[in-house]
Amino acid sequence: MTAASSLIIELRSSIAEESARIEREYAATGDGKAAVAERTRLIDEILRRLWLDLVSADEAGPHGFALVATGGFGRGWLFPYSDIDLLFLYADRGGETGYKDAIRQFSQELWDLKLKLSPASRTLAECDRFDANNTEFTISLLDCRFLAGDRELFVRLHDKLIPKLVMRESKALLQGLAEVTRERHGKFGQTVFHLEPNLKETPGGLRDYNVACWLALISSMGKLGDWPDASLLRPPVRKQMDAALEFLMAARCFLHFRHGRDDNSLSWEAQDEAAARKIGAADAADVSAADWMRIYFRHARAVQRTVMQLLEETPEAWSTLRRQFQGWKSRPSSSDFSVVDGLIFLKQSSSLQDSEMLLRLFHFMAHHGLKLSATTEHHIEQALPALAVTPPRGAELWLYLQETLLQPHAADALRAMHSLRLLTLLLPELKPIDSLVVRDFYHRFTVDEHSILAIESLHRLNQSQSEWDQRYAELLGELEDPELLYLALLLHDTGKGVPGSNHVEGSLEIAGRCLDRLDVEPGERAAVLFLIANHLELSAQLRRDIFNPETVAAFAEKIGTPERLKMLCLLTYADIKAVNPEALTPWKAENVWQLYIGAANYLNRSADQRVHGDASDEKLARLRSLAPVTGAKFKDFVEGFPQRYLLVHSAEEVMQHMTMAEEFGHDPVRVDLKRGRHWYELALVTKDRPSLFATLTGVLAAWGMNIVKANAFSNQGGIVVDTIYFTDRFRTLELNMSEWQRFKQSITGVLAGSADLERMLRDRQRSEKHARVKVVVETRIDFDDESSSTSTLLQVIAQDRPRLLHRISSCLSQHGCNIEIALIDTEGQMAIDTFYLTSGGKKLGAEHQKKVGKALGEELKSLEISQ
Amino acid sequence: MTKVEAVIQNSRLEAVKSALQEIGVEGMTVIEVRGHGRQKGHTEVYRGREYSVDLIPKTKLEVVLADAMVEKAVQAIIEAARTGKIGDGKIFLTRVDEVIRIRNEERGEGAL
Repeated sequence: MTAASSLIIELRSSIAEESARIEREYAATGDGKAAVAERTRLIDEILRRLWLDLVSADEAGPHGFALVATGGFGRGWLFPYSDIDLLFLYADRGGETGYKDAIRQFSQELWDLKLKLSPASRTLAECDRFDANNTEFTISLLDCRFLAGDRELFVRLHDKLIPKLVMRESKALLQGLAEVTRERHGKFGQTVFHLEPNLKETPGGLRDYNVACWLALISSMGKLGDWPDASLLRPPVRKQMDAALEFLMAARCFLHFRHGRDDNSLSWEAQDEAAARKIGAADAADVSAADWMRIYFRHARAVQRTVMQLLEETPEAWSTLRRQFQGWKSRPSSSDFSVVDGLIFLKQSSSLQDSEMLLRLFHFMAHHGLKLSATTEHHIEQALPALAVTPPRGAELWLYLQETLLQPHAADALRAMHSLRLLTLLLPELKPIDSLVVRDFYHRFTVDEHSILAIESLHRLNQSQSEWDQRYAELLGELEDPELLYLALLLHDTGKGVPGSNHVEGSLEIAGRCLDRLDVEPGERAAVLFLIANHLELSAQLRRDIFNPETVAAFAEKIGTPERLKMLCLLTYADIKAVNPEALTPWKAENVWQLYIGAANYLNRSADQRVHGDASDEKLARLRSLAPVTGAKFKDFVEGFPQRYLLVHSAEEVMQHMTMAEEFGHDPVRVDLKRGRHWYELALVTKDRPSLFATLTGVLAAWGMNIVKANAFSNQGGIVVDTIYFTDRFRTLELNMSEWQRFKQSITGVLAGSADLERMLRDRQRSEKHARVKVVVETRIDFDDESSSTSTLLQVIAQDRPRLLHRISSCLSQHGCNIEIALIDTEGQMAIDTFYLTSGGKKLGAEHQKKVGKALGEELKSLEISQ
Repeated sequence: MTKVEAVIQNSRLEAVKSALQEIGVEGMTVIEVRGHGRQKGHTEVYRGREYSVDLIPKTKLEVVLADAMVEKAVQAIIEAARTGKIGDGKIFLTRVDEVIRIRNEERGEGAL
């Protein structure tokens, strides 16, 4: 046997014995840092022995040729199955030729020893050349370490060449490193919260740890032109990063030993075993897999925060887009906050003692899409203990929360709040789902991240070019109270953090407590709870025949109102989209949409199912409980109203209408006006009479009001409740409080016959200029005799214009149609008006429909011409 | 060995899965598909716009079985998937030359 063969046998045996020993020690101690250090030493020794045997028997030689460890190996971090990063360093190219065969044999022996090499071969001059397409090589030099050969050559590389190279190319290095990092983050959805993360590549993993170190090092060397003496991270950050590194090293060693290869995926099975063995958490009490993952996420979050802060604070590392907007974002935008280089600073650090300031800060962040500076984050962390003693709550908190949820960058603000532990302080109901891993084959992210992602997916709708997203974006724009949808999304899966099989029930209970604590008013509370209770309903319907009218009818009746249907459709869209990037397939998106429009049409066509005052249902029961003494009056009032009336009005509103009806003795026309969130709301309660709806809408038109939505219902006793939602185009009511009373008197006057509506309308027409039509809407007039057993449905789709509704309803009235129910809606410049019509107490005959259709068409045409 | 592919109504999936499980068929692949045979598409008018669906969403089920099981499986699918209306779907049978289990490279009917 040759000396070479016996050396290989000896080395093979040494690797096997030592590797087994390292694995045994790791199994006993769980110390990943020690394991990688030992493996590094082992391989160092192997490499030096082979170098002496194959390259140069002289320990200090050969001259002009050195063996250098780079990358992870250079750092001294050789994980059990990681590649060995080596650099064959030559003084010049001539040197390489002489050692080609030796290097070939050297590499071959290492392969035969089953050691995976990642070799590179460079001269000193080549190392000094920066290649923007191969930033990784230059970065790998930052961790170089001498192994064997010409030490003086290595010193020239390490002490002179690298500092000068980095100083010269620091900008390009930082940009390159940042781009690669952002690309990697993008592949992982910009989040640490994966159910089965990759310990090396996922944001917050080992790669990010290294990136943070490199960013700090390159920035420092770029200025100093030399290796820095001390750690470049602030002590508190250093401490967190060290703790994270210890944990990640222990976990990665565990995975390598477990898989027997360089596989860094933390699968569920691996999580179970890691938790059972308390990997990286030897001091903890027995932990479940979910708790162990929480420890992982805590460390990953710390690493990700550090790397993101460094990316933000290093101008050279900014993305191209960020640099374009840098000037814009540098303008200070508030009396409380400065914005410098796109980062938010507090003008006064002590201001955070005021909890309102803290809430305003995150609203500001959500509105502008800016990030917090490290200093601001530090101040927030310092303010938290005091805040925990008396946290904000109640209506004030809800006000800030809803305004923040509505902002385009709400998700980023929520993530920042969550990362700083502020979100769970304000909403402790979210604690059970903090970093919670729930295992199913569909979800990719933790429950809290899923909820925030769902909110983000809705905000992103407006930026999307996809046809599907644009349809859903239109729906979102029509919502009256989108903040309720966002709140429902935030809370909808909180039940998953509670033991028990039905997470919907758990979520309802938790959400109920949250809504109570936020003093959310009853109508809004009911809407949020409804969404949570039914958040799986639409998806469940996709397993049925969604084109079957019975399926559609049952679903629509369960949902009840168009507004709730829209919210549920959007919630379903967002929920599916946030499961994983591929979850919302075109198949699903189409099905959700088809079911939505089928149900929406059904609700429009079935509005006339009547209430019976002595029926037992939840809404009626609640109404009775609100006014126990009303007895027969209550029954008479609700009898004969469409079910829709009870669905679109809260119990409190119904009671108010009933009270208004009781006051007919004093005043037969009762009007209530209030300013809502988005519109003014006018409620008219009076006895039915011919042309009532036309007259009412005429008065609004004469005042220049733009009707956005309206509902008109009547009961068996001939009492009409008309609710009109309108915008004040000329700010008449907004700027003149006294006009409120005059406006109401105008309505009662016209209805009483003491004011001349036609003159008012002529005066308005003379004084008005008309806005240019931006989107042309084709007129459609459709009659439907099938959907209702008692009325003919008429749907009019037309260009929204001033006085449109008045002209339509007047035309209907002039042609002998009685409006039983009116459902008025507007979508952008499209008016969508549905009327349930009778004539002489019956449906309209075919001839009558023809006449009305023709007259309406002409009326709409003349309106178009006159404007 | 035979591959059984069944295109069925979405609403019948659970029934077909249960029926196959009852006769001892455990493994299957389920795919969301769109298509139509003689069944016409569906058009819904919403706010004045027509939304036509020519290719109806369906579910495709695939199982590979030993020949002895095929007829039983086909009958189970038919009984569970049938509603009697146009649009119930179709079943296709194709021969399979070989089946290999990735985990342990087992081949043939034993790998099913």
